[in-house]
Amino acid sequence: MEGAGMEPNISPPDSTAQQDSPFSMTDLFLVSLIVGLFTYWWFFRKKKEEVPDLPKMQSVAAPVRDSSFIEKMKKTGRNIVVFYGSQTGTAEEFANRLSKDAHRYGLRGMAADPEEYDLSDLSRLSEIDKSLAVFCMATYGEGDPTDNAQDFYDWLQEADADLSGLQYAVFGLGNKTYEHFNAMGKYVDKRLEELGAQRIFELGLGDDDGNLEEDFITWREQFWPAVCEHFGVEATGEESSIRQYELVVHTDVNMNKVYTGEMGRLKSYENQKPPFDAKNPFLAQVTENRKLNEGGERHLMHLELDISNSKIRYESGDHVAVYPANDSSLVNQIGEILGMDLDTIMSLNNLDEESNKKHPFPCPTSYRTALTYYLDITNPPRTNVLYELAQYATDAGEQERLRKMASSAAEGKALYLSWVVEARRNILAILQDMPSLRPPIDHLCELLPRLQARYYSIASSSKVHPNAIHICAVTVEYETKTGRLNKGVATNWLKNKVPNENGSNSLVPMYVRKSQFRLPFKPSTPVIMIGPGTGIAPFIGFIQERAWLKQQGKEVGDTVLYYGCRHEREDYLYREELARFHQEGVLTQLNVAFSRDQAEKVYVQHLLKKNKENIWKLLNEGNAHIYVCGDARNMARDVQNTFYEIVAEFGNMSQPQAVDYVKKLMTKGRYSLDVWS
Amino acid sequence: MQTSKTHSSESMSKDLSELMKEATKEVHEQAENTPFMMNFQKGQVSLHEFKLVAASLYFIYSALEEESERNKDNPVYAPVYFPAELHRKAALEQDLEYFYGRNWKEEITCPQATQKYVERLHYVGKSQPELLVAHAYTRYLGDLSGGQVLKKIAQKALQLPSTGEGLAFFTFDGVSNATKFKQLYRSRMNALEMDLATKKRVLEEAKKAFLLNIQVFEALQELVSKGQENGHPVQLKAELRTRNINKSYEHGPAHGKESERINRRHTDMMPITPLVRWILALSFLAMTVAVGLFVM
Repeated sequence: MEGAGMEPNISPPDSTAQQDSPFSMTDLFLVSLIVGLFTYWWFFRKKKEEVPDLPKMQSVAAPVRDSSFIEKMKKTGRNIVVFYGSQTGTAEEFANRLSKDAHRYGLRGMAADPEEYDLSDLSRLSEIDKSLAVFCMATYGEGDPTDNAQDFYDWLQEADADLSGLQYAVFGLGNKTYEHFNAMGKYVDKRLEELGAQRIFELGLGDDDGNLEEDFITWREQFWPAVCEHFGVEATGEESSIRQYELVVHTDVNMNKVYTGEMGRLKSYENQKPPFDAKNPFLAQVTENRKLNEGGERHLMHLELDISNSKIRYESGDHVAVYPANDSSLVNQIGEILGMDLDTIMSLNNLDEESNKKHPFPCPTSYRTALTYYLDITNPPRTNVLYELAQYATDAGEQERLRKMASSAAEGKALYLSWVVEARRNILAILQDMPSLRPPIDHLCELLPRLQARYYSIASSSKVHPNAIHICAVTVEYETKTGRLNKGVATNWLKNKVPNENGSNSLVPMYVRKSQFRLPFKPSTPVIMIGPGTGIAPFIGFIQERAWLKQQGKEVGDTVLYYGCRHEREDYLYREELARFHQEGVLTQLNVAFSRDQAEKVYVQHLLKKNKENIWKLLNEGNAHIYVCGDARNMARDVQNTFYEIVAEFGNMSQPQAVDYVKKLMTKGRYSLDVWS
Repeated sequence: MQTSKTHSSESMSKDLSELMKEATKEVHEQAENTPFMMNFQKGQVSLHEFKLVAASLYFIYSALEEESERNKDNPVYAPVYFPAELHRKAALEQDLEYFYGRNWKEEITCPQATQKYVERLHYVGKSQPELLVAHAYTRYLGDLSGGQVLKKIAQKALQLPSTGEGLAFFTFDGVSNATKFKQLYRSRMNALEMDLATKKRVLEEAKKAFLLNIQVFEALQELVSKGQENGHPVQLKAELRTRNINKSYEHGPAHGKESERINRRHTDMMPITPLVRWILALSFLAMTVAVGLFVM
């Protein structure tokens, strides 16, 4: 639209009626001019006003805040302040949770953003009785403070404050993949001490690369007992435990609405619908269940699960997850010792209505179902569970022992370690050994952790067995210091599966979890597989697949296996199959170590050392991929060290160079691990 | 780190994965330092901006994944074809439905910079598929790395539900371990049969991919700033920007075309630059006067 589009044309009026009108031409012209000017004014003034208005509004909106957190705490009756250095809100969330916790112990907390307060007031915190400053500090970038903690950080560095009288604790949020892991948390913890403050609990180091939430919970569980001990307070009487859930017992309920072990949707085990995953497992029929070892005390087994019509696909190297059930006799004993009818139908409803988690496990359900399918009743309970249960011990001595084990005092920690952890006492054992401890079963159900799915490396190739998933496992069974026989949940449950029967006795709720443990893309690439014991599982799948590729006419590279077991005559797993593959030429090398068949221990790494030159050749010239599966703690580490040796010796490198070479192989996906501890 | 005389040092390594990392180091930093990304990392991102990003990503990934499908059996791409683990189109569709509603497809538009990126992807996929891996590497491996941090930032900044709605893009259900998957992906990159000349072209294409990304974000940044004039608090800054733009137009083509251009570029915004305001006001004034006179 052109700016100078319309020129006002002042042409002399034609109408003679004009002389009779009450207004003259001039009047009308002036009126229109005024209207026009008014319009212009209106248009512009409004816009201009907007600009100065907003800044004014903002300054009014900004709350007149007391920058002294001491005053605020005094005003609102708080004694614990939890500062957070947070970028993504996680540290802030933790701070909020900690400040809420305080209530349980007769203390009152508040979370605070360090940016909004004058942190030099920390030296005044001792004016408040039973005061404590907690810091949830996240580390950002190259070991830097978060934006809202920058001022605090600067002050810590420059100020020469005297913080004697200040009691504090720090929880750091970091990530191990970064070089300056938890630099901020560590700095605050150290610096406060340097300035004279008193640390009342150890620095917590949360690792987001692992499980930050778990690290926080673990730290928190020990933190509060330490605080209580320090201030001489206890969670007393009725206030001692704040239940998260409320029990509702159902007397007249439609059994169709009751959960009987499903992980997700009600009746999902009766009406199975793909896709199948962690929330919707597939009930696979067990078609084979045989013992693999010929002798010895252990029971090693091979199971086959039928996945026909499930649309489940897998690749060799993937993991199969199974949802096990607890031993029914264990469940019954718990019911008996607590004197409860386990078939009572109930729901545990979250008292926090805003929470996403309505129930701790699918409800409504029976106690029996909960203890069998949803709750972990075999692992030694964590200290927070003992702490919560202590109130139910009517015998003073037992109560004291429970409280002690839950505390962070050195003596308490030692007692917990020996009486619970080393003695492998599960909840039933604790109830048995503490006869006065009889908690209500619903509170127990609230406290016990969820029963986790177990993962097994799939021992078959989908190219050869598209409708079946094979598992190779060893049943866990051992006697504890207390003379009890502890059994692994999933392995014993699998052991008792009867193939091809009707009913749940031969069904396994499962799903596939994709792994990154894969054969090389090109079949011609050599592979070196190291998998002693049940670590051989994925390699059976790998070897089956290499055999299949050979059948398909592909050029298949060297397929080398290093396996180990205790006795040749007892637990040499898949002996016939491996012999056959070796004979057919699919398995180029079969190296087996029998650790206990001679005086000195012979393991896979010893066999590796015997073949150094060959291994180097495969690696350096053949572009071989290395795979290690099995025990994480010792075997994987020993094998890795052996590779450093081989690379250094035959690759003509120094030790650090050899380490670097092997680490690079890992980065490039040529050295893969599927290990467990 | 010491370099030995007898074994290949990093610079002599022929592995595509290593060469790629080296070659894109600089542009990667550049991308991280765009104003948009820097603001995002600080949690300064509005829902409006985020929706625009999601829309652009949808066009980009649709193109990338279409070309991936086209080349899934082509030996120059097949080793890095991981649809179940990586593909984002379905996830973006979920997010767009969450943000825009059922009619999201009609509501979203493809900005010019995004269109340029899309066209490059289609060209590469059809005519130079051996370079497609460069684009896949640039986007997917980035998503698996920094993407997870960005997810948390977005969740907090936009107050999205903890159940994950609106963030499906950042959630890789098919990848149980991002680090291990990246290792696997690199091994697959290195399994591609490629002579040195092709490798060099792939590296160049990767740099190009980064630059295309940077341009998309810069364009989005501009789009967002222009929109902030309309009643948003950041008035002054926006006014300065538009005054600059107007200055450049004065020397350009006729005014008529100028407002047209503005209209076309910002399809969902009203063009109210100060100049236009003046024009309107004066015309109004003139109109009033003229009407007044006409009445007489």
